Amino acid sequence: MTTYTFKGKKSFAGEFLDGLATFYRRRWLLKYFVQRQVTRSYKRSYLGLAWTILSPLIWVFFLTLVFSEVVGIRFRVVESDPTLNFGLFLYCGLLPFMAFSEALNKGMNSIRSNSGLVQKVVFPVELLPFTNAVASLIDKLFGIGALVIIVFVLEHRLHWQVLLLPLIMVVQLLFTLGLTYMMAVIGTYVPDMGEVIRPFIRGTFFITPILWPPERLPENLRWIEDYNPLAYLVEAYRGMILEGTLPGGLATLYFSLFSLALFAAGFGLFVRLKHGFADQL
Amino acid sequence: MTPAVSLRGVSKKYRISGGRSSRLSEVLSFGKVKRSHEFWALQDVNLDVEPGTTLGIIGRNGAGKSTLLSIISGVLQPTTGEVEVRGRLTAIFGLGTGFNPLFTGRENAMLSGLILGIERDEMLERFDDIEEFAELGEFMDQPIKTYSSGMRSRLGFAVAINVQPDVLVLDEALSAGDSAFKRKAIQRMYDLRESGTTVLFVSHSMGMVTRFCTDALLLHKGRVLTSGSPEEVADRYQEMVAKSEENKSAGMSERDRQLDYEIEHEEEEDTPTAGDVPTAGRTTNTRWVVGGAEILGLELLDEAGRPVDKLPSGGRLTVRVRLRYDEATEDSILGITLRSEKAGLEVFSTDTAREGTPLGRKYAGEQTTVDFTFVVPLGPGAYNVDASLADPHADGSDVARTQNAATFEITQEGTITPVKGLVQLPAEVEIYGLEGLQKRPGRPA
Repeated sequence: MTTYTFKGKKSFAGEFLDGLATFYRRRWLLKYFVQRQVTRSYKRSYLGLAWTILSPLIWVFFLTLVFSEVVGIRFRVVESDPTLNFGLFLYCGLLPFMAFSEALNKGMNSIRSNSGLVQKVVFPVELLPFTNAVASLIDKLFGIGALVIIVFVLEHRLHWQVLLLPLIMVVQLLFTLGLTYMMAVIGTYVPDMGEVIRPFIRGTFFITPILWPPERLPENLRWIEDYNPLAYLVEAYRGMILEGTLPGGLATLYFSLFSLALFAAGFGLFVRLKHGFADQL
Repeated sequence: MTPAVSLRGVSKKYRISGGRSSRLSEVLSFGKVKRSHEFWALQDVNLDVEPGTTLGIIGRNGAGKSTLLSIISGVLQPTTGEVEVRGRLTAIFGLGTGFNPLFTGRENAMLSGLILGIERDEMLERFDDIEEFAELGEFMDQPIKTYSSGMRSRLGFAVAINVQPDVLVLDEALSAGDSAFKRKAIQRMYDLRESGTTVLFVSHSMGMVTRFCTDALLLHKGRVLTSGSPEEVADRYQEMVAKSEENKSAGMSERDRQLDYEIEHEEEEDTPTAGDVPTAGRTTNTRWVVGGAEILGLELLDEAGRPVDKLPSGGRLTVRVRLRYDEATEDSILGITLRSEKAGLEVFSTDTAREGTPLGRKYAGEQTTVDFTFVVPLGPGAYNVDASLADPHADGSDVARTQNAATFEITQEGTITPVKGLVQLPAEVEIYGLEGLQKRPGRPA
């Protein structure tokens, strides 16, 4: 028999741990939610889950066509087919960025777009931003799979470093979660802030070495890359998938600590303010 | 016994803001500018609900009923006060919350159960019950987008009600589905109550409250006005409604009142009346209503076919009853009853069998209109008309029934000599005198 009581305010630490425990307690619900989010866009289509692999292929093809052929940027040469170089380079950098921006944009609306759940049932709201962050990462996991296949087909080699990428993704999840939780709170309490933040999210695309190689950055602007956690992710992805190199140890440590702190801050803010959500809708 | 639900000094404050711009100026001034005003949806509510109680919460729109249920179920946090709930609580505020149209009924049932906080293993165990209860057949494995809204709510209700909660909170969720399903749902609620589940529900149907609840609570403007036996509380509520409507209802036509009836009693015909529940003079008819058809409306018409709420004594009245059969029915009998409000007794009653106009065989979904036309040689005053549909094959129970469906008034207008007593019977008067027999015809009735 479970007992539910609401007596005044719980201690912050208690609520924080309670919130974390929710993920385990409601793991099946979480699974269904993530599954739903991931398969949502494919449910209606005839090819179904095949799209998780097909859409990255289309992306690579499209990016190659536009940037290598039309614009004519070629930083990285694929030996067997020199026209394909930039598509892979760009798509590989896009993956972590898309995971980041999708999670944040969806996270911002996660409470409002589920107002039915928040207002009508006793629902563990913690799960909503979590679902967005995890689903966007899983979606990119398919992208990584497709990318690895393309690299193998074109270059006939695989880098063992790819196998360590999931570890980086776990840290990336913490990083994304921290921000997504903050966005969820902001999007619920101050909907107008969403309009301010959205351009910033888009803007990070340009200050992150996705479209341009980091070597091109002038010396006095190096800090843009050094202090940009997304830049770390982009370069880690590229190194592990395309080049067969591992990210620097110190950088990884910094990124991990930063992500952990960000998660604690974001999640803490969220559990502190979640009780007011139903009133805000 | 420790109460299953207890509330101590619970209040809930809302802020009503004058619009977006005023909210902005408030935010920008860090609360120095106050453009919004406070509104207390609940004020100082104290409540103890013993386990096994069925508590009906009644009150007018905006009285704070839903807020109270939301706070009890933990969706909303009270501004002040404490709430304690012992045991597993399931709240149904809207059926099918969180359903995804692209997923099958089965998937959605699981999802919905998980949302309500039920363990996956338990859901798997109860799946057969849920499937059987929802009566969806093959549709269970079809995407929900192919469902009708009734099917959708049936599934939602089936999940919520089959999970054996200790405390069940319902916010007018019982209007789901057709009457056959409603009956089953209410039967299930009786079962839950028997097994000791505490049920809290909001209803606008006094019939539902008096028949189904063991206790009732009347909320008015966020405060508990009275609580106690359902009959007393329902009376108090009706008194309150009557008082506040006295002024505006002076010009209210019978048509409006009939509409009110149809709105308020919408779910009642299908409610099984527990034969042993004391109805305290509320209903003279304590037969079970088994369902299978619905009385959609009852209208009173004058000779010209116009709706009427006043007519002179001796006028012709048509009682038009509209029926819908939910199940195929043979030889059903529709009866009407005229009751004098003043005298409090049945004045006249007839039915299709007595009048020799059998209804015959009706298939499910068929709609029928039956007119009863008769002369009302009645004394002045108000009269109630009710209709009931009986099935001679199901002994002792009505298929459907109305309660206070319509009233009309016999006026003295146009009559030279008002009828005295209850009814003017056709009479002949013979006077014998010394001059012999004088014969006068009695007034035509």
